[in-house]
Amino acid sequence: MKILRMNSVTKFYEGTRALKDLSLEVSESERIVILGPSGCGKTTILRLVAGFMAPEEGSIFISGQLVSQDGHIILTPEQRNLGMVFQDLALWPHLSVKGNIAFGLKAKGVQKQERETRIHNILQMVGMEGYSKRKPDELSGGQQQRVALARALVLRPRILLMDEPLSSLDLELNIRLREEILRLQEELGFTLLYVTHDREEAFGIANRVVILSKGRVEFDGTVDAARAHLTQ
Amino acid sequence: MAEGRFSLEAYEGILTSHRQWTLMGHSMALSFWVMLLTTIVGVPLGVLLGKTNLPLRRFFIFLFVIPLLIPPYITAVSWFDLLGREGLLSRLIGPSFAGMSSRFLFGLPGCVAILFTTFLPIPILLTMVFLRTVNPRLEEAGKLVSGWRGILKGITIPLILPGILLAAMLTFILSFGEFGVSNFLRYGVFPVESFTQFSAFYNFKAATAAAVPLVLVTFVVLLSEAGFLREKTFRLRPSAETEDLPLIALGTSRNGLFVLVTLFGFFLVIVPILVLIVQSANIQAYAEALSRAGDSLLRSLFYAVIGATSLTLFGFFSGYLIQTKTFRYWRAIDFTTIFLFALPGTVIGIGLISLWNTPYTNFIYGTLWIIILGYLAKYTALTSRITVNQLTQISPAMEEAAQVAGAGWFRRLIFIIIPLARRGLLAGWIVGYIFSLRDTAITMLVYPAGHDTLPVRIFTLMANGSAQLIAALCVMLILATLLPAGILWLIANPLLRKAKR
Repeated sequence: MKILRMNSVTKFYEGTRALKDLSLEVSESERIVILGPSGCGKTTILRLVAGFMAPEEGSIFISGQLVSQDGHIILTPEQRNLGMVFQDLALWPHLSVKGNIAFGLKAKGVQKQERETRIHNILQMVGMEGYSKRKPDELSGGQQQRVALARALVLRPRILLMDEPLSSLDLELNIRLREEILRLQEELGFTLLYVTHDREEAFGIANRVVILSKGRVEFDGTVDAARAHLTQ
Repeated sequence: MAEGRFSLEAYEGILTSHRQWTLMGHSMALSFWVMLLTTIVGVPLGVLLGKTNLPLRRFFIFLFVIPLLIPPYITAVSWFDLLGREGLLSRLIGPSFAGMSSRFLFGLPGCVAILFTTFLPIPILLTMVFLRTVNPRLEEAGKLVSGWRGILKGITIPLILPGILLAAMLTFILSFGEFGVSNFLRYGVFPVESFTQFSAFYNFKAATAAAVPLVLVTFVVLLSEAGFLREKTFRLRPSAETEDLPLIALGTSRNGLFVLVTLFGFFLVIVPILVLIVQSANIQAYAEALSRAGDSLLRSLFYAVIGATSLTLFGFFSGYLIQTKTFRYWRAIDFTTIFLFALPGTVIGIGLISLWNTPYTNFIYGTLWIIILGYLAKYTALTSRITVNQLTQISPAMEEAAQVAGAGWFRRLIFIIIPLARRGLLAGWIVGYIFSLRDTAITMLVYPAGHDTLPVRIFTLMANGSAQLIAALCVMLILATLLPAGILWLIANPLLRKAKR
């Protein structure tokens, strides 16, 4: 079964058509990267999947369940069991690292003992064990990325959505964090839907690349095929 | 309504009466002159305090804001104590000066001067706020080809023009609805007519009819604001680079301008307060003030705390709905709160009486809640706008991240939005406290027996109380307004700032 299915989705954004009759299917544990220039509609796809907006036309299914259709949100973001790493990370500045990670677990009613274990494990996985009491602004850019990743992954999401999360980092850190994302994905087996405008970043993460142009899918295939398509 | 039927009789009286047209002319003239003078003086002062290296800028901002925080008629009392026939200056200079200054005070010039003092902070503050929204890079680009004078004229001022027009509109409608000063200085304007018809003659029909032109003028001014300015002024998003806002170096004129602003602030703000202090410098005056109005003072503080808390709550929720646009009719909420704020307090008071003065709603009409409802009607716009501005500075991704993490609306509000907006909430509470405490017009009309507040008690005592007693009460009211709000801000703001870090 496909974990995500978008059927003939059309979305208008601020008066212009951001997505045109777009269809996309994603299998479990796939690492799919949506690649394209600014304004091509890639972030709109993530926001539609997350449930922050509904498509004007078309439907979206997650794990076979209809989540939005023809302008209506059927499952709200909090009901979809997804994880998301935002472009600006959106770490809550008034909460500590632990508070940021615990927030979703508390919202889902996870018991304290299990919560503590899961927080401990995820912090260990992202290499941030000693930082649980720090506030986000006491961390470096790379450390903040790791916390954002931990906050999303601790909820064991069906799909992890990442919206250009590494765009503000220098090349060295960008490469190191890409490797960490790959390691975590292999360990935990989540499905990754990753958005970027950077080709190298896309090819470094994806096992499938979707190239978007003016709200339409221009290409959908493997990394090698994407490379070939782009050099034509 | 007359004898259970709708009647236009009272309205016919308004349209055909020469007196009513004279009152309308007075109201328009007063509002126009206050608007013109506050804009001419307030905008350059706002630029000076918000954009230059003038010394003690924060102190001056605080100083010039003080008159806005106290009921305008208190300022009128202090100028009367200074310039009136038996005022301090007449005792110093002589009766011939007193006659001249008294003639100036009682009439249009006096009302304009006092409302100018009261509403001058509006263009100052709005100019400063809008200056912060100008991208510094635009000015730096101008600096390559021009000096600051040219940049201000050609770039900065045109960019903040919507803010200047908004300030002008606000001072116009607030002056239009002000009744305390005109009433004290015996200058006939429409809000005084509405108030007098109700409180002196208890002619509810005539009072309501006199309120209608006020509603219409307010409505027309606000509609034009919505049409021409709203999209430009709705969100005051500070420039992303506010940290390095370029300041104008005043150079050799710095000291001269400093002296000028100091003298201006001294005469405009400190002199009136000093006059009240000198006039009331007598222990007996304060003892009498406490014995005659101590209960009103305590009630004022209590009602202001309840008013501020209710205003913070309502303002937060309406601001949240406006900012997030989650409620389909958010524009209606926004327009209604602004409309009620712009509406004269006397009109709101009459509206509240019409609505709640029934045998079934005495639990509101006969209790303090009628006053609190008045505060909510009139001042929610202030706390709502503070919330909108605070929330605008919080990335929408903060709430979205909580939503994806599985948190419902209430949890997001309590654990994410409110903690992030706490400084705005504190500012909203303080503004709510000050405006609840200074309110005169609404409270004067709606307060049930035994529920009068200090501003109302001062207003009623002015008819027969001694000048010393009135001055002492005014000083008490100024202290009750500024001290608790100032102390709370000084203690809580650094704590919240620290907690945010």
